[in-house]
Amino acid sequence: MSRGAASERDGSRADDVRPDAESPDPAPPALAIEGVSKRFGSGEGAVLAVDDVSLTVERGSIVGLLGPNGAGKTTLIKCALGIVLPDSGSVRVFGADVADGRRAAYANVDAMLEGARNDYWRLTVRENLRYFATIAGVDPDSVRARHDRLLDRLELTEKADTPVRELSRGMKQKVSLASVLAGGAELVFLDEPTLGLDVESSRTLRRELRRLAREEGLTIVLSSHDMDVVEDVCDRVVMMAGGRIVADDTVAALRSGTERDVVRVVSADIDDAVVATLRERFDVRAVETDFGAVERDGDRRDGHRSTAVEVAAAGDALYDLTDALRQAGVTVERIETVRPELEDVFVDLTGLKPGGSEADEVGSDGADSRGRSS
Amino acid sequence: MSADGSASPDAATPPISTDSDPADEPRSATYYHLARAVLYREYLIFVRYPANAIGGIVVALFFFGVLFYGGRLLAGQALTDSLSGIVVGYFLWTLSVGAYSSVSSDIGSEVQWGTLERHITTPFGFAPVALLKGVAKVVRTFLTSAVVLAVMLLLTGTRLSLDPLTVIPVAGLAVTSVLGLGFAAGGVTVLYKRIGNWLNLLQFGFVGLVSAPVLDAPWTRFLPLAHGSAMLQRAMVDGVRLWEFGLGDLALLAGVAVAYLLGGYVVFHYATRRARRLGVLGDY
Repeated sequence: MSRGAASERDGSRADDVRPDAESPDPAPPALAIEGVSKRFGSGEGAVLAVDDVSLTVERGSIVGLLGPNGAGKTTLIKCALGIVLPDSGSVRVFGADVADGRRAAYANVDAMLEGARNDYWRLTVRENLRYFATIAGVDPDSVRARHDRLLDRLELTEKADTPVRELSRGMKQKVSLASVLAGGAELVFLDEPTLGLDVESSRTLRRELRRLAREEGLTIVLSSHDMDVVEDVCDRVVMMAGGRIVADDTVAALRSGTERDVVRVVSADIDDAVVATLRERFDVRAVETDFGAVERDGDRRDGHRSTAVEVAAAGDALYDLTDALRQAGVTVERIETVRPELEDVFVDLTGLKPGGSEADEVGSDGADSRGRSS
Repeated sequence: MSADGSASPDAATPPISTDSDPADEPRSATYYHLARAVLYREYLIFVRYPANAIGGIVVALFFFGVLFYGGRLLAGQALTDSLSGIVVGYFLWTLSVGAYSSVSSDIGSEVQWGTLERHITTPFGFAPVALLKGVAKVVRTFLTSAVVLAVMLLLTGTRLSLDPLTVIPVAGLAVTSVLGLGFAAGGVTVLYKRIGNWLNLLQFGFVGLVSAPVLDAPWTRFLPLAHGSAMLQRAMVDGVRLWEFGLGDLALLAGVAVAYLLGGYVVFHYATRRARRLGVLGDY
C-alpha cells in the first residue's frame, strides 16, 4: 500500500509530484522534528507539554513512543501532524517543511488517534475505506483491489458491508486502522492501536504492522502503554517524560543500557539464614520463596520448594557470590542473568509505570487527566 | 480551496505505486472525486437513517399547526389575510433552520468523532469538505421543507406560485447566507465546545430576519435572509419570476449570500487555527 517504498522497488520513485521532489537529499527521513516545544496556558498555570524535542524517524521503521500519561506523547504526535501548532521548532515530513505547505507535506500522512472514532460509524467498513482514500487524495475506484486485500489481512472481509456502529470495539479499532491505510499513507501515527483489542486481534494487528513496514516500507510511529506491543513491533523506542525525550534507542540497546548485573540463584537450600548472610555482603534485590512465585519465567515446580534470590553481582562479585553460596552449603539448582524487561528500563528512566500519570496536562493531552492514554 | 493556500491535491498527492497488481494503479483524486465522496456519504446517511429527516418534518408541521390553528383562534380573519406570507416565511424559516443547525452541529460532531482532525491533514483540508457538506445539507433541507410546504398548502388551502426556476435560486441564495452563519457557529463550537448548544438558539432569531421590514428599514436588506425573504415573498405570493426582478435585487441577493458565506468560512478558518494553537482541536 505504500507509495514510496513500492516505487523505490520499481526503480521509479514518485518524486515528480512529491513535496520533496526538489530536495537535494535523495531520501530524507520520513519525519524530522527539530527543537519542537509546546506550552499550554499562561502564567503560573502554564504547562510545558513538549520541551525542545528533536526526533528523526527513518523511512520504513517502526518507532515506539513510550511515556506515562502527561509525558507529552500525544502533544508531540499532534504537533507532528499539525493538529497542534508548536510554539517553536520545525517539522519536516519526507523532507517537506510543514510550515511551507502543510497540505502538501501531509499528503502521505495519516493518523489513528486514541480516544476518537476516527471514522464514520454510520457508514459500512468499505464505505469508510473509500471515503478516507478519497480525502487522502486517491480515487477509490483505482484502489478497490487493494482495499479488498487490506480487509482480508485485517480479517474484516466478512464485515466489509456492515455499518461500523454494529461492530465490536476490537473490530472498530481494526476499521480505524484500515481507514488510515486506505489512502496509501507512507507515514502513519498510531496512538494506542491495540487498546481494546482481544489477544487474537492484537496479534493480527501486530503482524500486519510488521508486514506493512517490512514489505511495503510503511513508516509507523506508534504510541502505546502495552510494552509487549512495543517490544514485539518496534525497531526503536523513544521514551518521553516531562515533555522531553529521556531515551531513544533500540529495544535491545535500551535493555543492555539498563543492565543491572543482576543474577538470580534458585535453590532448595536457600533459607532465611542464607538470605541474611547474602544481605550482609551483597545487594540482594529480591527473594521469592513461594511455589511458583518466580514469575519471570513462569517457573512453577509444584511439590518442590525452592527459593530464588536476585543479587546484584557482576564481575568479581559473581565469584564472591558463588563462594558465599558454597560456604553456606547451598547447592545451586540454577543461576541465570536477570534480563531487564522494557518496563524495567522505562521505570528506571522515568520512575513511573507506563500507565501511570506524570502530571496533569492541559490542551490536547488534557484527555490524559480524564483517564485516556496519551 | 485550500485553507492555507497550499498546493492543490492533484499536485500534492503522488500516485500510489503498485505493490502487486499492475492493473491496480492508484489514481489521484480530484475535487470531482471529493464532491462525489462527500455528497454520496450525505446521501447514504439520509436514506439509511431517515428518522432525523422525518422527525424534523413532524416537528416543523407541529409548530406550524400550533401557529395556524392558534393564530386563527386569536386573530381570525387577520391571519387568513396574511396566510400566504406566513406560509412562505415559515417555509424559508424551516429551510434556514435546517441548513444552519445541520452545518453547525455537523462540525461539532466531526470534532467529537476525531474525523475533523483527519481532514485537517489531508491534501484537501476540511474547508471544501465542509462546503460540500453544506450544499448537501441545503439540498436535503429543500427536500424536507418541500414536504412541509406541501402539507402547509393542503392544510391552509393557500395557493402560491411554485415556479422552481425562481423559488430554488432565490431561496437557495437566501439560505446560503445562513450557511455562512452555520460555519461561523461551527467554528466557535470548535473553539468553545460548550457554546454550541447556545448558538442553536440563534435559529429563533431567523424569525426576525425572515420578517425584517426591508421596505421601512432598507439597511436590513444587508442582513442574512432579509432581502432573500422579501424576494421570495414577491416570487411565491405575487408570482414574480426570477428574470422579472431588478438586476440590483438579484445582485444584492447574491452579494449577501457570498459575503456571509465567506465571512462564516473566515471565522471557521481562524477559529480552527486558534484551536490548533491552543491544542483544543478535537479535545471534546
